[in-house]
Amino acid sequence: MTEANVKKEIASNISRISSEGADYVDARYYLDDSSETLLLYDGDLEANDTTVESGIGVRVLWEGAWGFSATSDPSGIEACFRKAAANARTASRLVEVPLSMGVREAVKGSYASPLEVDPFSVNLQDKLSFLTRLDNDLREDFILKRMVFVNFQKKRIHFQNSEGSEISKDLASVFGTILAMALDSDGEMQRRSMSLYSTGDGTAGWKMMTDPELFSGHAARVRSELAELVRAEPLEYGKRSVILLPGQGHLQVHETIGHPLELDRILGYELSYAGGSFVDLDSFGKLRYGSDKLSVSSYGSIANSPGSFGFDDDGTPERDYLLIDRGILVNALTSRAMVNEANERAGREVFKQSGGAARATSFYRAPIDRMTNVNILPGNDGSREDIIASTEDGIVVDNPVSWSIGSNREHFHFGCEIAWEVKNGEKTRVLKNPTYQGHTLEFYRSLSAVGDKSTWVVEQVNNCGKGEPNQVMQIGHGVPVVKFDDVVTGERK
Amino acid sequence: MLDANIRKILMQVRDEAADEGIQATLQLHHEKSHLMRIGNNSVSLNTSEDLLRLDVEVTEGRKQGSQTYLGPIEDADTVRGILNAAREKTRMASPKTYDPIPDEVETSISEDNQFDLDLADLEPGVKAEAYKNIIEKLGRKYNFSGSWSSGLMEVCLLTTASRNEVFHRGTDQLFSVVLKHPEAKWELTNNQTGWRASDFSIDKTLDSLSKLIPVYENSDGFKAEPGEYTVIFGSSAVAEIISMAVYTGLAGRGWEEKQSWTAKYKPGEKIIGDQISLVDDPTNPETFMFGFDMSGRKRGIFPLVEGGDLKNLMYDSGTAAKYGKKPTGHDTGSPSIVMDTGFGSADPLQAVRDFGRVLYIPALHYMNIPNRSKGIFTGSSRFNAVLVEDGKIVSPIFSSRVTDSFQNVLGNVKVISSVSESVNESNTYGRRAPVALSVPSYIVSEGVKITDSADSF
Repeated sequence: MTEANVKKEIASNISRISSEGADYVDARYYLDDSSETLLLYDGDLEANDTTVESGIGVRVLWEGAWGFSATSDPSGIEACFRKAAANARTASRLVEVPLSMGVREAVKGSYASPLEVDPFSVNLQDKLSFLTRLDNDLREDFILKRMVFVNFQKKRIHFQNSEGSEISKDLASVFGTILAMALDSDGEMQRRSMSLYSTGDGTAGWKMMTDPELFSGHAARVRSELAELVRAEPLEYGKRSVILLPGQGHLQVHETIGHPLELDRILGYELSYAGGSFVDLDSFGKLRYGSDKLSVSSYGSIANSPGSFGFDDDGTPERDYLLIDRGILVNALTSRAMVNEANERAGREVFKQSGGAARATSFYRAPIDRMTNVNILPGNDGSREDIIASTEDGIVVDNPVSWSIGSNREHFHFGCEIAWEVKNGEKTRVLKNPTYQGHTLEFYRSLSAVGDKSTWVVEQVNNCGKGEPNQVMQIGHGVPVVKFDDVVTGERK
Repeated sequence: MLDANIRKILMQVRDEAADEGIQATLQLHHEKSHLMRIGNNSVSLNTSEDLLRLDVEVTEGRKQGSQTYLGPIEDADTVRGILNAAREKTRMASPKTYDPIPDEVETSISEDNQFDLDLADLEPGVKAEAYKNIIEKLGRKYNFSGSWSSGLMEVCLLTTASRNEVFHRGTDQLFSVVLKHPEAKWELTNNQTGWRASDFSIDKTLDSLSKLIPVYENSDGFKAEPGEYTVIFGSSAVAEIISMAVYTGLAGRGWEEKQSWTAKYKPGEKIIGDQISLVDDPTNPETFMFGFDMSGRKRGIFPLVEGGDLKNLMYDSGTAAKYGKKPTGHDTGSPSIVMDTGFGSADPLQAVRDFGRVLYIPALHYMNIPNRSKGIFTGSSRFNAVLVEDGKIVSPIFSSRVTDSFQNVLGNVKVISSVSESVNESNTYGRRAPVALSVPSYIVSEGVKITDSADSF
């Protein structure tokens, strides 16, 4: 079946299901959803995989309840619509608060990730030569294990709904990580890694890989920091300042600002798996989430990031707005139905409009409220060096080893790859096995320094898990260097 | 069900490839999945997917490449196209420094002993009705959420190394319900699993939740200050701890590369408490039983830990090739880990009558491993967690963080339940691949480190 015929059939089925009484219908037709993964492990090509998917996902809202169905068979489009409608009708038998998409004008548009060189067009042998060069850069006698990982993704999506919206998207993302491991003086394996980041501008393609600043030029630093780690003492338990470099700060933001501000979590739709949120509808406009230095945005006008996609899967144009304004919680990550339900439940307009955060990972998953780009805005506390210089007793930490968060995101525990001790404004030595833990509000209220634009980068997350059925999503986080005071670090004896 | 014609097409292309001397593995995965989500006492999503995937891996000497396709397979040309794409990737691949061990379907197997047509075809309306009953019987003053995943999975695996075929057809389900108090914010849960539609019983859920509601309604929360406690870990927590311990300690790759918490030990040496025995047993019906792995090797009973001693490590074929070992049937995401039961009372409260103050943590939320070499894990209590004194439930406990080592928690076990439970650990991130463990319904460990606690549930 041709692309045009598939779109025609989608349109006629949307009309049919709408005329039968559906509140709302949409379909996402993935013409192509491809992913390529290459992994060099100790120089051996352990993954040389490509995945190609295509299909259609149909969502029907019937008397306030969602039904969804997906098929990879273009000859089964009509059956897929019927199944989604039947599922919605069944769901409508148990509805206490009917969901509503509201009323909105049709949206017509398109979006394409900036892409100068499509990684899928680069010859595999050229890609492998590049990976081998990075692997060679990681080699040193004391290093026991080396890993070079890259992943390329592209999605070509056509969206259509019963409001007359039609949107096409060509999305591209690239991800990369280098990692080295060595045994320390206690015989324990230590690791140091670096993952591709961006400045937010430029191209989402192959050029990011080969840019020495963004990815390909960090092997020597990884090696030398690992050499220090294997000789390092462990971090002792105690309260001190913690300075998060963006490699760690982005995950802190992700887990303790991004997830708790997803409106579906706040409304209790994720309780059986991901959990809830300590934030409730009364919190908006009132809750002091952090110190005055904390301002957090969603999207943040980032041109090039896996969290930038033009239009969400409700058909809402991606928006740029504040979530936290100088410490006060002001907005959430929202989709159309969740905004309507929240306002209805609160009996007032908590949210003016959807934040454009409805996202699905593939054609065979229904959209849920996700992060887009969730960013801490740069501050006025100078460079990384300036922040270190202003610290009496603390540690600088980078890159997560582990993360474990309370079910309502009210508390957390992070393990990091490396820490640098800071005493009286100077980095003194490397410490191994750093961990820190805290309670979310107390932690952000202790935010005492936010680095300027020179410290701000967009870190990429390739594997954010959420939802039932489970979905993995790609997200960006623009973060500066940040400092928190009186944090519990290390583990009690 | 998988169209018989598709299996024939696959065999045809396999035979063509074998005749051409191509070394290839073809794996067809079909799922018919359904999931109903509940939120705020309503069905929040009712979703069905019918998906067919084909994975083709090609090996040429020391070079390998693979192609996965999700889409319609109408004819042999589609399969040939996927095979050719994998061949092209292989041709351009860089060679490994070791010889890969070829996949081979050693013997034909066709298994469907955990297949239930009633579950495969379970009507979504049955699920909606069950949730409605639970909500009405326990009261609309509470906020109910949950999910109920069920489905059919079929796998057909062929290799050019032989004309054998392995085929697996099975069904599985995972039911969960969460009851939350809208003001006090405490949460109770009940989960059920199985491979038959009849494995689900609404009475089990009602009985389990009804017992705990008065405890939560009539008591304030207890804040466990950081320190060492005697803890009853319920079956979900035990399964989480055992899964993580196996993943980070008993996989051949981590052990060979000195990344695991068992790296300093050799087989035969003690790694955890004498009472702990673990086995990968694909014949245990409390697990989802896979008689073969995805390299085509037959899977059998495989002891991992006996009386606390390390017995064997699990080698996938890639690790085995790299380190000169034999693959052990672990090229699969669905092991059947079984922990031996003990001699404790079936009732955990009875078992801790003489233990004074005890924390009962049925499940651990969001576990992770801050230090793999030391076997340190961390996670927090969530659902159904209570303080027990002299065998009696006193009050619910606030969210409490456990940060401790496998060696300590599994080395200081004082009681192990005599009753086993099946715990479903499946996720639905990618393709349907059910996993369940069979573990004691609880264990009691002493000296467990609580490192933080919240002021809320």
